[in-house]
Formats: sequence, structure tokens, C-alpha cells
Amino acid sequence: MLRQPLRLQGQYRRQADGSLVRQVDSPYRETTTLTAGDAVIERDGRAPRRIALAKVPELAAVQAGFGALLAGDRELLQRTYTVQVQGSRTSWTLQLVPRAPRLAAALERIDLHGRGAELRCVESHPAKGHAQRTLMAGAAAAAAGVEDPSALATLCRDASAAQ
Amino acid sequence: MTAAPRTATRVVLVLCWLALLALAGLWLGRSLHMEEDLRRFLPTPRTPAQVLLVDELGEGPGSRLLLLAISGATPQALAARSQALRAALAEQPAIAVIANGDDGGLDAVPPHLRPYRYLLSATLDTQPLDAAYLHAELQQRLQDLGSPAADLVEPLLPSDPTLETLRLAEAWQPADAPQQRHGVWFDRAGERALLMVQTHAAGFDGAAQGGAISTIEAAFAAGVQPADTARLEISGPGAFAVAIRARTEAEMRWIGTADTIGLLLLLALAYRRWSTPLLGALPLASGGLAGLGAVALLFDGVHGITVAFGFTLIGVAQDYPIHFFSHLRPGMAPRASVRALWPTLATGVAATCIAYATFLLSGVEGLQQLAVLTMVGLAVAAGSTRWLLPSLVTPARHDPAHSPRLARLWRMAERLPRPRAALAVVALLAAAVAAFSPGPFWENDLSRLTPVPTADLERDARLRAELGAPDVRYLVTVAGADADAALQASERLLPVLQRLRRDGVLDGFDLAARYLPAAATQRARQARLPDDVSLRHALQAALADTPFRDDVFAPFLDDVAAARALPPLGPDDLAGTPLELAVGGLLLRAPDQATALVSLSGLHDPQALEAALAPHGAQLLDLKQASESLVAQWRSRLLGALALAALLLAGVVWLALRARQRVLRVLVPMALATVLIVAVLRACGVELNLFHLVSLILAAGLGLDYALFFEHAGDDRDAQLRTLHAVIVCSLTTLLVFSLLALSSIPVLRAIGSTVAMGVAFNFVLALLVARAPAVERAA
Repeated sequence: MLRQPLRLQGQYRRQADGSLVRQVDSPYRETTTLTAGDAVIERDGRAPRRIALAKVPELAAVQAGFGALLAGDRELLQRTYTVQVQGSRTSWTLQLVPRAPRLAAALERIDLHGRGAELRCVESHPAKGHAQRTLMAGAAAAAAGVEDPSALATLCRDASAAQ
Repeated sequence: MTAAPRTATRVVLVLCWLALLALAGLWLGRSLHMEEDLRRFLPTPRTPAQVLLVDELGEGPGSRLLLLAISGATPQALAARSQALRAALAEQPAIAVIANGDDGGLDAVPPHLRPYRYLLSATLDTQPLDAAYLHAELQQRLQDLGSPAADLVEPLLPSDPTLETLRLAEAWQPADAPQQRHGVWFDRAGERALLMVQTHAAGFDGAAQGGAISTIEAAFAAGVQPADTARLEISGPGAFAVAIRARTEAEMRWIGTADTIGLLLLLALAYRRWSTPLLGALPLASGGLAGLGAVALLFDGVHGITVAFGFTLIGVAQDYPIHFFSHLRPGMAPRASVRALWPTLATGVAATCIAYATFLLSGVEGLQQLAVLTMVGLAVAAGSTRWLLPSLVTPARHDPAHSPRLARLWRMAERLPRPRAALAVVALLAAAVAAFSPGPFWENDLSRLTPVPTADLERDARLRAELGAPDVRYLVTVAGADADAALQASERLLPVLQRLRRDGVLDGFDLAARYLPAAATQRARQARLPDDVSLRHALQAALADTPFRDDVFAPFLDDVAAARALPPLGPDDLAGTPLELAVGGLLLRAPDQATALVSLSGLHDPQALEAALAPHGAQLLDLKQASESLVAQWRSRLLGALALAALLLAGVVWLALRARQRVLRVLVPMALATVLIVAVLRACGVELNLFHLVSLILAAGLGLDYALFFEHAGDDRDAQLRTLHAVIVCSLTTLLVFSLLALSSIPVLRAIGSTVAMGVAFNFVLALLVARAPAVERAA
């Protein structure tokens, strides 16, 4: 559909009230605030839109996976996914497979790649279509200037090897 | 006269009679079509509001709606129960629509309607499909693709880059839907998950509504998880009907049981025979079944209220066997007793039946059914008392005339004054009280007779406001020569309605044109769709600086080209889609005319709405007012028939008695008693309704019989004693039955009970004072 895969830059923030903010800075500006039940999406020049997470399982998956991980909410994480850990302390992968059939129909699994205390990449595999990769921290810095998709995929997956 | 039959023969005869009644009951149970449809009961409608009420009563969009609230658990758990309930009910045949807010997605727009999206959606009215618009939309789609929900949006884009389908699905959401939490509707406090159910059955159809409610409750119960604390509440016209029905039945059960025991004891005590209560019940039972049978044969169906009225009126037949039993005495064959009694009994029955015959001329089917039921019922009850009962009773062992206790009572009655002037004064006073008591004379609101508890009404109003559910009382109509003309006329109301909503006149509205625009509107939108070449150019320009590939939107070009050639969508094309019900409920189609309805919610100022819509040919209907005008029409027909009936009744009594003094002695007590009852009711602040009126007729019928029998007894002491015995037993049994009804908590039962109980008391006393001739003690 697109001439080349879409590449966004921005940041994830956790706010004091426990909500998770996904802020895109380029190529456009968009802020998504995920709370317990809702997502509020703000785009330039448009009124904010409020969406129930239950209606968009993909958004709920972010909240219950990445959000739960950041919040240290192990219970929410394990209620939503079967969690498998692979690798070593220096190069680990957390594999999250959705438990609910409704979510599983949209999302095959989420792989979280990290090194030590650093989460470096979130790789989300939808049931249909291409994987979405969110490179973070050191991996995001390493990705600057890298355009080749397979090189980016390697950067994400082999978080430790890249060093 | 031949001797009475032997005991064995009598038992066989009684058993045969009972078997016959049982058979008749069985046949009636199968062939009698009982209706709860008020249309069967009300007169032919005249005004447009009445026509709509009668055509649509109970079928309007508001009255088939049930409002559901799930509370008492965490919001997540409530949302899950809401979803489970929706899934379970979506498959139930009794449920037409179930909505909990989770239907705004693509599924709301059936695939075969998707090509029509540019014709149905209002986007093109203000926004051409040009390069600038397409470019802005493509930028939004890019952001959609960058969101976690990319996979949801991606498959739609090639054919629908503006996501018109989703916009349509959103526009079809209820006009002012409640807030959404966890994907389903919640109230403002976030404590209850809300759902709306539309039943297939009409709101007045208590049995079908009961079925739908049990279906909902069963589906909810099936979804219970361990340690689940969620509760389900159901409100709406159907839920009220079911609750009232259950309450009425429960009260009727205890009243019926108490009545039966009381009657058995009273009759056994009065006649010292256990067979008397059974035999005494046979004529009334036969009359009731015969009356119902006649109605079943002559009419298509009978309304529940007609049956209730009919059985109230033929209650007078319970007195027939009592008069007979009290006139039995040793040494006289039962047949001889009944033959002596017959002229008086026949006069009473004939006068009453002729009076009821006037109902046949009223032009109201409910009243005609009532006439047939009562005339056949009374005639059969009297006939079976005259010709069947004497073969079944054993000759009497006691003569009531020889009872010392009765003799004492009689001597007391003898000493009573025989007022004339005093009665005239009482009559004038009562008439004045009846005429000048403050407060309205008539109560036309039938629903007030079976009231819904205030707490339930408040809960209903709260849920209705939260859900933005349509008002059941007010409705706007606009007519057209056909469906499309009506749709077009209703579209013209849209700007007015939107302005009224902004001004706070009403909270929300819904109309068929919101889902299905008129053909002209669809054609106008079609004309605004760019031709293939222009669209291709616009798309090219819009794509220029986007990361989208040039060739992906070919399906979009095809869809727009197809939409330009489509014939406008009509109501018939919606068959089988979720829109069929929404549009069908708001667009009424008759062969020569169509009416578009606008359902209203939260109407604060009916006058302002009416004034604003009138210039556009629309009408505000007050369904409550329409139903009250129908009830008033019913009553005026009944009163007209009654005036004629009173004249006929006086004529029959005159023919039978042929002396002015005797006729007056019979007619004055019942006339005066009627005035007294009305005076007491009015003085107590009671507004009279149809049930009071029917009860007054029964009271008058009872009074006529008391007076006729007292008058018939003449000046013979023994005959007077037997009549006194009969009338005391009659009035005590009737008083017992109707006093218990008067204790009911349900106003309709209380109205009947109090009126008739008063009527018995007044008629008994007045008959004793006026109708009885001074007795001459003869040597026994």
C-alpha cells in the first residue's frame, strides 16, 4: 500500500496517573493516551477522539503488554498473555502470546527484546500482515540513518548482537 | 306435580350438568380468542391521532422497547455481561433488536449496502470529493496506518480511503447514545451497563412481553460466573404490563380463595345443606360459559376488559338460585315454588336484558360483545334456575318463614318508618353533592387503573434519559402520498429539529430519513460525485506527496463510478438488514399513504415543538390524549345507551306491574341508590371511570331484583319473610365478594368492589324502606 514501510519517531511516556502516552513526533504529530479503559487520540487540527480499548483489541494489547510491563503489573500481563522468556540476562526475549481468542484473532504475538535492564525493541506480529517494530533506547539510537528494513529487523531482534 | 326425583337420579343429573360445563369450558378454552389488544376494546377511531394510536398502539417504536441495566460489579465485569447478554439475545426469535453500544463497527453496514455509502452519508452535502479533501483524508489514513490499529484499517483503504463506511456506521448510532466504557453503553455515573431491546411483540401483548422478559432473564442467568454479583433490571412498557399482570393475578387469587370459602360457609349456614353451594353455583357458571360461547361464535375475539365487565354484570345471576332456595318450603314441590317465583324473576331478567340490548346499538364492538355476553348469560342463568335446578334439589326441611330469628328481624323491619319527603330531600342533597363536588368528574386515563409503582416509573425515566430512548407519549408525524414523499417531508423537518434541540426544547429525535434519505436527496448526492476523469485527476493530485502507492486506489474509482449509476435505495431494499427494523418502525406504509414518524426523547416543551413544526406540515401527536379521547368516546356511547336502557327498563317494569304506585316502589330504590353511590364517590374525591360505570349498572340490576321481589311478596307475612331471607342471603353474598375486591391495592378492582358493595347496602336498605308493602298478619 505504501511505497516503503512507515517509519515513525517519538516517545513512550508513563504519566503519574498510570496512563501510558504514545507520542509520535515525525513524520506527523499524534498523541495517544492509554488509560485503563480508553484511548484518547489527539491529532493536529482535529478534535481528540476517545475510543474504548475493548473495541480496538490492538490498542488494548499495547496497554496490557507494554504498559503493564512498564507499570510492573505482572498480574495484568500474565492474565492477558502466556509469557515465555528466552535467552540470557544480557540478551533476552520475552514472548507474549494473547490468551483471549478475540485478541488472538488480531494479534499473533508480541516479542520484547532487551539487554540487561534495558528494553530495546518491541516487535508486534499481527495475525495478518507485516510485523511492527518499535525500537527503543539504545536500539533507537543505533537505528538512526538505517533505512534497510531487514537491517532494522536485525537491529530489533539481535539487540545484543548489534553491540 | 310429580314428586321430586330420587337421590341417585339427582346425583347423576348434577354430574351430567357438571360434565357439560366442563366440556363447554374446554371448547371455549380452545376457540375463544382472548385479546389484550386495546384496539378490540376501544371505539372506531376518528381523528388522525386516534387512527395512529389505534393502528400503532403498542407497536410504536417506544412501546416495544425494553430498557436493561446491569449493575453491581466492576465496570469490566459489567461490560463482559453486557456483551454476553447481547450475543445470547441476538439469536432469540422473540427479540427484534438488541443494542448495547457495541455495534458502531463495520458490521453495522451490510456489504450490499456499502456501494450506497456516498448516497446515504451526508458528507457530500458539504464536502466535494476533490483533491484537497482526498489529500487531507489520505494524511489521516497514513496516521491510522502508523497506529497500533493499522491492520484494522488497512484492508478498507483501497476502496474507501475516506472511510465513508465507518462514518455511516457512526451516523447510524442512536441519536444521543450514552457514554461508552469498555466498548459498551454505561450510565453517566459509570455504574450500570445499559442495553436496549426491541421486542417483536407489541407492548400491550402481556403474554408475549412476558415471554420476551423471561427469555432475557434466562439469557442473563445463563451467563452467571462464579462469585458474580451483577444484577439485571428491566424496565419499559412491556415490563410494566407483565408486573401488573402478575400483581393483579396474585391479588385475584387470594380474593378468589377468600370469596369461595366465605360463600360456601354463608350458603351452607343459610340453607343447612352442603349441596346448596354447589347447586347455587351451577346457573351462574352455565350463564357465564354460555355468554362467552355466544361471544366466541359471533365475534372474532374478545378483549380481556370486556370479559371482566361481562362477568361483573352477570354477577347478578348469583341471586337467582338464592331467591329460589329461600322460597322452598316443606309440603310444596320445588317446581311449584319456582313457578310462583318465575314472573318476578322473569320480569327482572327481561328488563335487564332489554336494557343491555341497547348496547348493541352503540356502534362500539366492545359494548356489543358486552351486551351479547350479559344477555345470553343472564337468560341462561335464569332459564337453568327455572327449568333445571328444581329437578336437582331435595324438598325443603325448613320454611324460612318459620324461623324465629327471621321473624324478629322482620318485626324490626316492620317498625321502620316509610319515609317519602325525607327520601326526596336525601335524593336532592346527594344529587347536589354529586354535581358540585370539586375535582374532575371523569377519569379517562385507563393506565391509572393499573398503576405502575412510583419507584419503577422513576427508574424508567432515569434509564430512558440515560439511553436517550424515545418518549412513549409524544410522536411527530408527517404524511406523504408514498414512502418517498413522506421521507422527503420528514427531511425538511431536520433543520428545525436540530435548532429545537440546540434550544433545549428536546434532547433528541430519530427519524427514518436519518438511515434512508429520500430518493431526491440521494440523487442530489449522486450528482455531486465527480466523474471518472475528474476523480482520477483529483486522486492523482492528492497522492502526489504522500507515501501511498499510486495504483492501490483503483477499487475506490470503481466504487464511485458504480455509485454514480445506482438507482436510489428504497425501503424495500433494506429487507433483511439491521436497518429494516429501524426504518420500518419509523415509516408506516399504507397502500394510499405513508407516514413518517419522528420519535422524540426528553421533550421539555411540547407547545414550542408543535408550533415550530406545524408550518412544515408535521403534527405533534399526544398518544395519551388520543387514548383518553377514545375512552371518553366509549363512555359517551355507553351513557347514551344507558339513557335509552333506563327508559326501556321502566317500560318493561310498567308492563309487568301496570300500576303507578307499584312501578314507583320498584324503580325509586335503585334510582336513589345510584345517585347515593355517585355522591359518596364524588365526596371522597374519586374520579369516575368506566369500571365505576359498569359497577353502577350491576348495582342497579341488583337493586331492581331486590325491589321486585319485595314488591312481589305483597302484604303476605310468610312471603315477605321468605323474600327477606332471600334478599338478606343475596346481599350478604354479594357484599362479601365485592367488599373483598374493595380491599384490593389495585385501583381497578377497588373501583368495582367499592361501588358494588355500596350499591348492595343502599339498595337493600332502600328496598326495605320503599318497595316492601305493609304486611298484614294473617292467621298462620
